[in-house]
Amino acid sequence: MTDLTRKRFAQLGQQLQLEQLTAVRKQAEGWRNGLTALTGLVGVVFVLKGRESVAGMPAVWRWTTAALLVLAFALLLTGALAAVRAAHGRLGQRMWLSGDRLMSAVLDEVEHTQDVLTTARRCSVVGLSAVVAAIAVSWVVPAEAAKDEKPAGPQVLVSTPVGITCGELVLSNGDAVTVRTGGKGKLRRIPAGDVRSLTPTSRC
Amino acid sequence: MPPAHDLTPFREQELAPAGNPAVVRSADGRWYTVTGPCPNCHANSVFRVAYGVLGPYKGRWLGRRSEPEPHSGSILVYCQCGFPHPDRPSESPDTGCGAFWDVPVP
Repeated sequence: MTDLTRKRFAQLGQQLQLEQLTAVRKQAEGWRNGLTALTGLVGVVFVLKGRESVAGMPAVWRWTTAALLVLAFALLLTGALAAVRAAHGRLGQRMWLSGDRLMSAVLDEVEHTQDVLTTARRCSVVGLSAVVAAIAVSWVVPAEAAKDEKPAGPQVLVSTPVGITCGELVLSNGDAVTVRTGGKGKLRRIPAGDVRSLTPTSRC
Repeated sequence: MPPAHDLTPFREQELAPAGNPAVVRSADGRWYTVTGPCPNCHANSVFRVAYGVLGPYKGRWLGRRSEPEPHSGSILVYCQCGFPHPDRPSESPDTGCGAFWDVPVP
């Protein structure tokens, strides 16, 4: 009994042998477009919603964020280039274009395209994860403690007969000099008559 | 001396293989070449079946892919003699007499 379905599938197999490179290129183009769109989407959503600067973060977390972003950039760049390579590979370069060798080259190219596409997917996923991790760090890590923050006003040394007081200058007029001293911001008023000198300083 | 090509009317039919068709695997193991005469029109045919490599390769991170498993059973071969057999429909993808046969893989 003649089973034409078997023959049809044999014909399909012969056709697929010739068209698998075209098929894998189309597949790679789809992945390239998808990965590019995903990278752009994540970049827009997270970067716009995130902290604008890493300034004010503790040094460890600042460097962590920077390292994550550098890593993410390298991975996303590698992923994007790999996806482009997969979608636009080179076939028949520097080889004899005989039927046998070209058939081998097509199979090699299809396998290589699959491998490059896998690399692109992995790099993009890890890179995007690194971006998200960097943004999450910038969201979660609090700003440095107040002791490291710059005071609002200038720091001064106030010399009096009983000693020297250092603090942030709050007010100075003919009656007194008021400075904010200590970590808790306690105000101290020094009468003008007791002040011998008032010297600016970088820190107390 | 093999019999001359016979320009039989086109007909899709399954036949027993004629002569002793040869099945040879390529050096890298990625395709088989089946050679032998068509049992219907007697044209010598060369039929290749390649290993499908579409889809990501599983099971490794680096290095070259391993050689595929050998084909088991038989390979269905159909005539691709290229002669203009009469009664072949113009829309048919066939390029032969329409005959097909199974060749066992050793």
